[in-house]
Amino acid sequence: MDVLPLLATGFGHLFTPVNLAVLAVGLVLGMLVAVLPGLTLVMGVVLALPFTYKMGVAPALILLTAMYVSGTYGGAITAILFRIPGEPMDVPLIWDGYEMARKGEAALALGWSLVAALVGGLVSAVVMVLLAKPVAGLALAFSTPEFFAIVFFGLASVVTLSGTSLANALISLCLGLLIATVGVDEVYGAERFTFGQPFLQDGVEFLLVMVGAYGIGEVLTRMGCGFAAEGGGAEKGAARFRTAFPRLSAMLGMKATFARGTATGIVVGVVPGAGATVSAFVAYGLESQYGKNRAALGSGAAEGIVAAKSAATASVGGALVPLLAMGIPGSGATAIILAAFLLHGIQPGPQVFVSSPDLVYTVFATVFAGVIGMCILGYFAIRPLCKVLEAPEAIVSAFVVVFCFVGAFAARNNLSDLNVIAAFGVLGFLFERYGFPIAPLVLGTILGPLAETNFMTTMVSFDNDWTVFFTRPISGGILALAFAGLAWPLAKAAWQRARASRSAHAQPG
Amino acid sequence: MPGKLRLVLPHGLLLAATAFLYWAATRIAANTGAGRIGPDAWPKAILVFMGALCAWEIVRRLAMRPRGAAQPSPAGGGEGADAPPALQWGKLAAGVGLVVGYVIVVPWVGFFVATAVFLAAFPWFGGMRRPVLTTVLGLAGSLALVVVFMRVAYISLPLGAGPFQALSLALLKLIGVS
Repeated sequence: MDVLPLLATGFGHLFTPVNLAVLAVGLVLGMLVAVLPGLTLVMGVVLALPFTYKMGVAPALILLTAMYVSGTYGGAITAILFRIPGEPMDVPLIWDGYEMARKGEAALALGWSLVAALVGGLVSAVVMVLLAKPVAGLALAFSTPEFFAIVFFGLASVVTLSGTSLANALISLCLGLLIATVGVDEVYGAERFTFGQPFLQDGVEFLLVMVGAYGIGEVLTRMGCGFAAEGGGAEKGAARFRTAFPRLSAMLGMKATFARGTATGIVVGVVPGAGATVSAFVAYGLESQYGKNRAALGSGAAEGIVAAKSAATASVGGALVPLLAMGIPGSGATAIILAAFLLHGIQPGPQVFVSSPDLVYTVFATVFAGVIGMCILGYFAIRPLCKVLEAPEAIVSAFVVVFCFVGAFAARNNLSDLNVIAAFGVLGFLFERYGFPIAPLVLGTILGPLAETNFMTTMVSFDNDWTVFFTRPISGGILALAFAGLAWPLAKAAWQRARASRSAHAQPG
Repeated sequence: MPGKLRLVLPHGLLLAATAFLYWAATRIAANTGAGRIGPDAWPKAILVFMGALCAWEIVRRLAMRPRGAAQPSPAGGGEGADAPPALQWGKLAAGVGLVVGYVIVVPWVGFFVATAVFLAAFPWFGGMRRPVLTTVLGLAGSLALVVVFMRVAYISLPLGAGPFQALSLALLKLIGVS
C-alpha cells in the first residue's frame, strides 16, 4: 500500500505557505465564478490559466484544481437563496432547495447542500486515489492502437453528451480535429492549411480556441441577448445568509441517497466529457425513480438537494481519474487542467505516475483539502459571496473579454494570437447561436494531435492495416463501446419516433 | 432570406468550407515513401466525414419540412431544441466591433489606452448608460489590470507606438515597473 506515503508527500507539498495561499485563492475564485451566473466554472478556470504561466507547475495545478473543486459548490448558495443557478449543475437545487427556502428552511437547505458536497467530495477523492494508479498501470500495457481507441472513446463520449443534435456535435468535433492539423506536421514536416501565413506554421494553439470560443463567444452571446442592467441578487438581499446543519439521525436516514448520488457522480465523472452537470441531473433522475421519498421530490425535499449536490461534487474525483491516468479529460474544467499540464511540458497519462508522482499526489491532496476548504468557505462566506451578484453583467463581461485577450497574448507574446482569439470568439458565438456545441470543438483541438499521432504510428507500424484497431481485444472493445455510445442516441430517437407514430395511429379519429 | 435557405445555410457554408479545405488538403506535399499514408490522410478522412455530415443534415432539414414536422429552430438541433432568444443586432454588432477594434488598435495605442476605452465602451454599448461611471471604470479598471498583470504577474503587454508608447512607459515608471 504505497499510496498513503505518496499521499502524505502530496500533502507535504501542498502544506507550504505559498501553496496554501494559492489553494485559498483558488477556492475563493472558484466560488466567485460559480456564484456569478454570467461566468461558468469552465470559463473561470480558463481565465485563471494565464496567471499560471509564470508559476511553477505545482502551484498552477493547485490553483486550477482548487477552483474546479469549489466551483462545484458556490452556485448552490445562489440557487437555494435566490433561485439563480450560478452553474447549470445547480438547476436541480432550485427544484427542492429554493422550495425549502420558500418554506422558511433556507438555512437547512444550505446545510444539506454543504453536507452533500462534503460527503460526495471526500468519498470521490478516496476513490480517485485508489483507482488512478491501477488504471494508469493498466494503461502502461497499452500500445498505440489502444491509445487511439481510448482517445476516440473520449471524443465520442463528449459528442454524445453535448447538445441535442448528434450531427452538429460531430461536425463541431471534426472542426476541432481539423484545427489541430493546421501547421507543420510532426511526422513528415509537411505544411498543412497554412495558406502562406507564417503565423499559422506553428499551428493554432488550443488555448486560443478554448479561450476564444468559451470566453468571448459566451460574452457576445450574452451581449446579443441583452445584458441584465444590474446584478440579479441585489433586490433580494433580505434572505437569511446562514447555514444550519441537519441532525445526524436525519443524515443517517438518507444514507442511501448519499450513496446513490456519490456513486453516480464518480461513475459519470469518469466518463470523458460528462462532468458535474450531467452527474447532478442523472443523480436527481435516479433519486426521483428509486428514492424512498421520490414522491416529494420537486416540492422541497432534502433528498433532491443531497442527490444532485453529492453527485456534482463527486464528479470531480471521478473526472480526474481519466485525466491523470490516461491523459483524457473527464470534463470541461479538467480539459483546462490538462492544458495547464501541457503548458508546463508534462503529458498526463500512465507515465506521469512514474515520472512525476509528487505532482500527481499533490493534485490528489488538493482535492481533499479543497473539498474541506470549500465547505468551510461555503459556511462562512455566504453573505460576501451573495454581494458579488450585485455586479452588473455588462461590467463583468467587459473584464472577461480583457482577461481572455491577456491570456491569449501572454502565452506566446504574439499579437497575431489576438486576431485568432477574436475569430474564435465570433465562431463560438455562431456555434452557440446555431446549436453547435463548443465542447467537442475544444476537445477536438486538444486531443486531435494525440489521436492523429497514435493513428499514424499504428498505420505505419502495422503496414496500413486499419483492421488492427478492431482485432486487438482491448482497442476493439473500447471502440465497440465508443460506437455503441454514438449509436445509442440515434437508436433512442428512432425508437421514440416509432412509438410516437404508433400512438398517433392508435388515436381515434 | 427564403425559409429553406435559412434553414440549411450554416451547414451549406460548412459544406463549402469542407470542399475548399479538401482541395487544400490535396495540395499537401510530402515524401512519404512507398505504401505509406501521408500527412494528408488524417485531415482528408476528417473532411470526408464532415462533408458527409453536412450533406446529411442539409438533406434531412430539407426533407423534414414538407411532412409538416415541427420546424427546426435556427439553434439547429432539430427535435427538442429550444428556440434561441431574439437577437439585439445593434448590441451584437457593437460587441463584435469592440472586440475586433480592440485587437486592431492595441498594437498602436498600447494595453492601457485600449483597455481603458474598451472597459468604458463595452458596458455603455451593453446598455449601461452612465457616462461618469463607465469612464471611471475604464480608467481605474485599466490601471488596476496594468498593475496586476505587469507588476504582479510579470506579463509583458503591448506598450503601443509613438506617443502612446511614451505614455505606457511613463505609467509603468509610475507604478514601479522598470
